Amino acid sequence: MSDTAIIRLSRRDLLLASVFVAAAPVAEAQTPTPRRGGTMVMLVHPEPSTLATYAVSAGNIPPVTTQIYEGLLTYDWDLKPAPALAKSWEIAPDGKTITFRLQEGVTFHNGQPFTSADVQYSFMEVAKKVNPNGPVILAELTSIDTPDPLTAVFNLANPAPYLMVSLSSNNMPIVCKSVFEGTQPLNNPTANRPIGTGPFKFAEWNRGQYIRLDRNDRYWKPGLPMLNRIIARFIPDAATRSAALEAGEAHYAAYSAVNAADIRRLQASPILGSTTQGYGMTAAITALEFNMRRPNLAKKEVRQAIAYAIDRQFLVDNVLYGFAKPATGPLSSVFSTSGFYTDQVRRFDVPDRIDIANRLMDEAGFPRGTDGKRMSLYLEINSFGEQWLRQGEYIKQALAQIGIDVTLRSEDTATWLRRCYTDYDYDINEPFYSAGADPVVGVHRHYVSSAIRRGTTFVNNKDYRNPELDGLMDAATREPDPARRATLYHEAQKILVEDSPGAWLCEVQYVTIFNKKLHDHTGPLGAYQALDRAWLDR
Amino acid sequence: MRAGLRRFARNRMALAGAFVIFCVVLLTVTAPFLFPQGAFSLAGQPLQPPSLRFPLGTDALGRDVAAGVAEGARTSLLIGISAALSAVLFGAAVGGVAGYYRGPIDLLLMRMTEFFQTIPAFLLAMLLVVILSPSLLSVIIAIAAVSWPGIARLVRGEFVALGGREFILASAGLGASGPRIIFRHLLPNCLSSIIAVGSLLVATAILLETGLAFLGLGDPNIMSWGLQISAGRVSLRSAWWVCTFPGIAILLTVLSINLIGDGLNEALNPRLRER
Amino acid sequence: MRRWRYFGYRLLLALPVVFGILILNFFLIRLAPGDAASVLAGESGAATPEYTELLRAKFGLDRPLPEQFVAYILAALQFDLGFSFRNDAPVSELVVARLGPTVLLMITAYTFALSIGTLLGLLAAVARNTWRDAVISVATLICYATPGFWLGLMLIVIFSLHLGWFPTSGFENIAEGYEGWDRVLDVARHLAMPATALGLFYLALYTRVMRASMLEQTGMDYVVTARAKGQSERRIMFGHMLRNAFLPVLTMAGVQAGNLIGGSVVVETVFGWPGIGTLAFNALQSRDLNLLLGIFFISACLVVIINLIVEILTVFLDPRIQA
Repeated sequence: MSDTAIIRLSRRDLLLASVFVAAAPVAEAQTPTPRRGGTMVMLVHPEPSTLATYAVSAGNIPPVTTQIYEGLLTYDWDLKPAPALAKSWEIAPDGKTITFRLQEGVTFHNGQPFTSADVQYSFMEVAKKVNPNGPVILAELTSIDTPDPLTAVFNLANPAPYLMVSLSSNNMPIVCKSVFEGTQPLNNPTANRPIGTGPFKFAEWNRGQYIRLDRNDRYWKPGLPMLNRIIARFIPDAATRSAALEAGEAHYAAYSAVNAADIRRLQASPILGSTTQGYGMTAAITALEFNMRRPNLAKKEVRQAIAYAIDRQFLVDNVLYGFAKPATGPLSSVFSTSGFYTDQVRRFDVPDRIDIANRLMDEAGFPRGTDGKRMSLYLEINSFGEQWLRQGEYIKQALAQIGIDVTLRSEDTATWLRRCYTDYDYDINEPFYSAGADPVVGVHRHYVSSAIRRGTTFVNNKDYRNPELDGLMDAATREPDPARRATLYHEAQKILVEDSPGAWLCEVQYVTIFNKKLHDHTGPLGAYQALDRAWLDR
Repeated sequence: MRAGLRRFARNRMALAGAFVIFCVVLLTVTAPFLFPQGAFSLAGQPLQPPSLRFPLGTDALGRDVAAGVAEGARTSLLIGISAALSAVLFGAAVGGVAGYYRGPIDLLLMRMTEFFQTIPAFLLAMLLVVILSPSLLSVIIAIAAVSWPGIARLVRGEFVALGGREFILASAGLGASGPRIIFRHLLPNCLSSIIAVGSLLVATAILLETGLAFLGLGDPNIMSWGLQISAGRVSLRSAWWVCTFPGIAILLTVLSINLIGDGLNEALNPRLRER
Repeated sequence: MRRWRYFGYRLLLALPVVFGILILNFFLIRLAPGDAASVLAGESGAATPEYTELLRAKFGLDRPLPEQFVAYILAALQFDLGFSFRNDAPVSELVVARLGPTVLLMITAYTFALSIGTLLGLLAAVARNTWRDAVISVATLICYATPGFWLGLMLIVIFSLHLGWFPTSGFENIAEGYEGWDRVLDVARHLAMPATALGLFYLALYTRVMRASMLEQTGMDYVVTARAKGQSERRIMFGHMLRNAFLPVLTMAGVQAGNLIGGSVVVETVFGWPGIGTLAFNALQSRDLNLLLGIFFISACLVVIINLIVEILTVFLDPRIQA
């Protein structure tokens, strides 16, 4: 199945989803008739540690929990808000009040009816308190009024344009108030036996093997879901995961559940298809972080020289196996649809980049020694998988060209995180950023000086302090007008690339591999979306 | 001993093993001249199948697999031999003391040995490498730390068995000191077993190193066969050569060491001699 | 009766070992850098220091070390091995849930390795210095020299993907929901390849030990005597030598129990076998201290039990031990 076919099918899904027509789709000559029933097996890697998606934002949880929990909103192919548990909404002209009208006749899996009180509780008592993104996304949310059971009114201190793109089941799941009331959300018994309103009900979790989800027969969308059962399987070894797909034992693998090296071979398999759709809200980027507390790296020239020395296309071709494109700056080009992205910045992909880099190193006052070396630095290997070691090995070779002797240091996750985000005892780190739906959600925290928080992971650990940038990002957070926001972000990108507190390497393109028997599986949010319409052919 | 070597030389399998190891050592010595750029350099297009330019192909980053195998030989031998040697020295010391003095010391040391044998060796090695952070030295320490109990038990067993023999009793009766008995009489008498088992430990150590590197617990700055396989594993089925050749190198080396060990065992073990 | 007293004595001797392992495990793993809360917070993307503190308090990581130690020992005596923050479940529950698959895998691998290994070793010893001996020796040496994960991957490629005989991974086919004998058969099909990959190394080992042990027996006085008395070679071999020669193999099997668990880390990871090995690997990766402690403790207990069983078997088989 080609990508275009996917888009067409999925657009149709979307149309159906947004007007909530019952299951029978418009017949198309070449598409088989949807069939009910069956068990779908998806691969999730690694196995989630918890299903408390309202409190932990690890990327391997939502493929399971978005089947169970729902959000107020979902998003269309242009990532514009679309109805989910909220039927409609209106934003006051001053941007400080948002009124949501809720779907009627929705019940939780425990039989409780869904009302505006659940919305209020989910946001004020759960999301604001324990959701790791709560302090950012919900910073302006002061209270929620519930004038009637089907209306929830959000009161904001200031306009928060990013809020409306952060209300999916993945970001802000709606939980059942009566289940949570009077308990610690983190210790709630339903943390790992979730109760939501979604198309599938949690059935069992056999640790180390699988999570089983059963069809919610009382789902509020008539006739859905199509499948009887979803099984999320956990296989620790990458090669074995690929083999399970090839053997037809698993039907669906999204994100990094399949090793990039295997994707081409899997695409050639007659029983498997692939798509790159559904990752619009991810905006993932690989990067280097420089510890600017180190005297060598405090010099802008050195940081820029490192950025020049790296051939991003090489990383795309040989580390990410072509499933990526070179990055130009801190914002992914995914943000060109919103106009935030610009490539009018200092470009490191020029033909004479090695010469420039060597010149910069000379200017910074680091001449080559007798052994050809200018300085020695450590590179901390990201502990989340094999590809990071490959990237590190390449960077070691690339920086050798400009006289920097790099030693790779490979530690377990805990030590690595502590070294880079608590002890600040590193030279260069190779992290991985997910911007999310809006730069406010996943970009600001890496660069603004207020995000220099010792002990907090994946924030500004570089000691980068630039008041001008802080001001721009602050303004962009509050600016409701998209065009003016875009101008602010363009300016911010220019400054960041010039200052190079990090070096941005590749924009990662995820690929979903699926069995061709599985249909209607990919929506605008990809694996972070309920598979209520997915069905299995015989 | 000389007669033992002659017997060893008559064992064709052991000789073949010795020949392979000789080649591996030769490769180690000549690697800097054969591949002056080093094993990490990006030598050509990635994932090229074996050709004249790259007889063993290139890996996912375009590194010469042959250069990796040559440099990895040094790492594997270095780790294997140092770890085995440390394990033998420590194990023999523990086993020797326990077997000679017996009594409470024996009990204590053997409890300790048992203790270290009880903890699943591979898990312990993994843990030690993580605690010490992956490097050449930490891998050697970890492997040695899990390899010594076997030697300790062997040496103790031999000492206990020899302890009752007439010539030991005779020397003790003649007033020979403890260390003298240990070094002049006991140790030489079980040297052959130690050599045979110790040589096999080198093979086990190389395998352990591969396993650790497979789980990403090797020194990332030093090329080794384990690192090559762990890197090539992802492209195992589209580019078989990347981890096939280091795999064969491991297999041949470990096999040869085992053949040598067997040869030594047969040649030096007096109880097998008559047959 | 005296035999049982002997076993009781051995059991008593095993207790300090178990206790020692508890102590060692605790301190060894606490030595490791990094702490649990920062990992979980790390997985959560951006977490505030307050959130990390919240996690730390929840899992008791903020208390002083001696206090943690005393609490650990006291709890362990009641078989409460603490709580795994990473899996959000009690450790003993997690480990016990994984014990079944691992024990099944180990027993299968053991049976496979011991039976075939003894047989091959016997065959090689009988045919010493013939081509059959050489073939067996080389074959076992190759098995002995092959890394387990490599073997596992090769088995998957050949038997799952090309021939389609066995499933690639897992414990059973969950989607089909088999019951009764169908389920047993299904699990057996899943078990075949991991058990082979795990067992081949030990098969090679036992073959070697058996062969050497048989040859060792050949020179023994009792064999010479028996031969001088004119007993048939067959009688000598099966009547006397086999039993004696098997003893070192058995001892070796007991000694190797710990290694077998270690080996299963790699093999279980490759095959997605839901046992202790996979759990241990995940626990180490995520620095799940309590879980690792629990795994070490339980696997050590398992080894002690296996050693006791071996001891019992040895006593019954060895005519020289008259305990």
